[in-house]
Amino acid sequence: MNILPNFTTGKLANGLQILIGEDHTLPVVSYQVHFAAGSRYERPGLTGISHLFEHMMFKGTKEVGPEEFSRIIQANGGTLNAFTTTDNTSYYENLPSAKLELAVRLEADRLQNLQITQQTLETEREVVRSERKLRAVNTPFGLLIEQLFALAYEKHPYRWPVIGWDYDLKNLTLEDCLEYYRLFYAPNNAVVVMVGDVSAEQAYRLVEKYYGSMPPQPRPRLVIPPENTQRGEKRAIFKKVAQVSAFFAGFHVPGINHPDLLALEMLCAVLAAGRSSRFFEKFEKPGQAVEVRAEVGSPPFFTMDPGLLQIYAIAAPGTCLATLETEIWREVENLKEQLIGDAELMKAKKQLRAALLRNMQTNFFKGLLAGLYQIKTGNFQQIYALLSAYAEITPADIQRVARKYLRAENRTVVTLVPVSQREHETLGELA
Amino acid sequence: MNFNQSLSLFTPPQIFSGQLPQGLRVFLVNKPNLPLLSIHLVLPYGAEADSPGKAGLADLTAEMLTLGTKKRSALQLAADIDSLGAILAAHAGWDYTSLHIVGLQEDWETLLTILLEIYTEPAFPGEEFAQMKKRRLAALEQQKDESPIVADEHFQTAIFQGTPYDHPVYGSLSSLPQILGEDIQEFHAQNFLPPGSCLVFVGSLEEEKLLRWVEEKFPAVKDRRWANYAESPYAYLSTRKIILIDRPDLTQSQIRLGHLSLPHNHPDYLPFAVMNYILGGGGFSSRLMQRIRVELGYTYGIRSGLEPRKNRGPFLISTFTPTETTYACVREILEVEKKFRQEGATEEERSEAINFFVGSYPMKFETLGQIAQKVIQMEVHDLEKDYLINYPKRIANISLAEINRAAREYLHPEEMVLVIVGQAKKFRPEFEQWGEIQIID
Repeated sequence: MNILPNFTTGKLANGLQILIGEDHTLPVVSYQVHFAAGSRYERPGLTGISHLFEHMMFKGTKEVGPEEFSRIIQANGGTLNAFTTTDNTSYYENLPSAKLELAVRLEADRLQNLQITQQTLETEREVVRSERKLRAVNTPFGLLIEQLFALAYEKHPYRWPVIGWDYDLKNLTLEDCLEYYRLFYAPNNAVVVMVGDVSAEQAYRLVEKYYGSMPPQPRPRLVIPPENTQRGEKRAIFKKVAQVSAFFAGFHVPGINHPDLLALEMLCAVLAAGRSSRFFEKFEKPGQAVEVRAEVGSPPFFTMDPGLLQIYAIAAPGTCLATLETEIWREVENLKEQLIGDAELMKAKKQLRAALLRNMQTNFFKGLLAGLYQIKTGNFQQIYALLSAYAEITPADIQRVARKYLRAENRTVVTLVPVSQREHETLGELA
Repeated sequence: MNFNQSLSLFTPPQIFSGQLPQGLRVFLVNKPNLPLLSIHLVLPYGAEADSPGKAGLADLTAEMLTLGTKKRSALQLAADIDSLGAILAAHAGWDYTSLHIVGLQEDWETLLTILLEIYTEPAFPGEEFAQMKKRRLAALEQQKDESPIVADEHFQTAIFQGTPYDHPVYGSLSSLPQILGEDIQEFHAQNFLPPGSCLVFVGSLEEEKLLRWVEEKFPAVKDRRWANYAESPYAYLSTRKIILIDRPDLTQSQIRLGHLSLPHNHPDYLPFAVMNYILGGGGFSSRLMQRIRVELGYTYGIRSGLEPRKNRGPFLISTFTPTETTYACVREILEVEKKFRQEGATEEERSEAINFFVGSYPMKFETLGQIAQKVIQMEVHDLEKDYLINYPKRIANISLAEINRAAREYLHPEEMVLVIVGQAKKFRPEFEQWGEIQIID
């Protein structure tokens, strides 16, 4: 059974890349535009501009009023959204295949004709600041994770959150936004993906019709400093009002192109996927921890540049966090000392294969898989090798990557220490 | 721009249904494009069957089924499931309980064997039970830090007060210690495979093989009188109720506002759903989003929604806003709702909403989970036999008058339950003019 469509590829003269996957199961299509724009392309002082700009893309053109984009797509039976990560900004419409041209036309329109004003920027700035409060400040662990990245990275842009620092959000200007639009929202900085009930030839012609006349832009001059090798554990404490204590740890690991990532993903599955995983059995099942996880992402969401493999634990009330942490590192050491058994490895392989298959149920995911690999690596063909790459991983690979990356010197740990409301007030504002 | 060409109506995948000699209803939907198989055993009762003071009993019983059988320990069972790359989950919801397994098609027989075994031969090990309760209590302690969850829980409890739906499905810090191992075993025996139980298969499947297997191995449905736990319709709470949960450390307030709506099989449910899209369910197409986010910038997101249930489910508006704008935000929400109720929707809004429902309908059949959900709702909520086939036509025929009547009859801005989690002391005085306030620390 061929689970991935054979993508037809194309490229317009202006550099726009096109990937088309036919799947005629349902009369629908996922239309996606991925840009090489995200927080890794930002610089200090302008953090958060990629995400804020994603919001601005809904502010209208000559033809389409502010926020009317969504209304038109929905009124034609579609759903839509956009998201920004460290490495990409992506826009998508999932809609009846009979309406594909509408999505192509509207996306092409806002790529050339966006109209933004000081006033729309001001409203959206406040909306984004509120979103930041929602996602980071007022969640139990959001600020902890921000701190983890800020501490683990000293130079690379992954040190700041995708949503940006509040101070920068307050100070971004309309000129900053326009400059960002000009540099990053260019056909030669984008990949268009269509998956669903389309004919590759017709779909290609549609994209050509609406994007063909756009001029390419000079590529932005980027200086993205690589991160220094970490040479010793870093630790920090974060105090806030909370019911339970927790820690979040990160180990530097390579980016999406590196073959070790799939072995690391499997290592995370051995530790924490399913109710027979090592972490669940040892820590969650007996009620010592509310949650213990090991995560490094999964295809196609691995980071482009070297990222962090995160291990985190939320202690149960009454559990000593320090002891819990020691025991968790003991489990990690076990992976380095003893080869995992064949049965345990087989289990992890089947889990990853089944998870990928479950994701493949939607056109949307299939589009993301191809589009994000293309925008991050320039070679979406890698997705065809994923299942066989999982199959080839050996117990020795798991041990090797554990030894190579899960070292204390390569580790950053941020600990949440719960405090009372009174102490919270003496510590100053949460930002 | 005018993009409104009409869309052709979509016919959903064919559902094969039948009844086995032992009385079990079976539904099969073949979706052969991926080698996956999803199986649900659906039992026609949920958390409304919890005994008084024992919130969580139905859901705990369901989870206990996954924690060891007479043939396999909890660990062995978990290892077997993980080795298949499968997911096993058993939960009670409202009005039904589902035991669900999803895995690869090649393992169909093992998947079915496990599903049958956990249901018919559970071991209910005492140590597993003690650990499960401990896990739940720890999770509930931690959830006190999750203000959206705190707001949701208080809202649900308040609007369903005095009905069998007035408690958390998962159990609470006070109810869990009251539930004993014996309660679980008794609950399981008492409610074992009642009339109305069914099996739902979706995925890449060979119908005959599955049916033969099930017919041979599954036990008979218990032949007895079976009364639904929440059979009679319950009274409508007809006053405004304000509950403020004080969390001085939060900089934003979580707001929940709503009341009871309609059962899923009510003839006005779909007009209400279309009306809801226009009011607050349609994202940026909705009036609430336009006013509260786009014009006033009070929030990042606001939505209203209704939940399909066998009996009356909640109608809920939810949002969040900085502490300073809490009162203004609630006031504006009510203004939008009142105005909408008085003036009604426009023909343009109607046609856009209907195009959305009809056009996005095929996407509701993309995954095995979505399809299974539709089939289960059809069965549990007593929807008409051809509901899924007739749905697009029914939606397309909803008139503006029906929408506006739904707004007038079923929206009650003066009789809302209002729950806010945030710095209660700062906004309490403004709400005092609205009536009595309950403050929870």
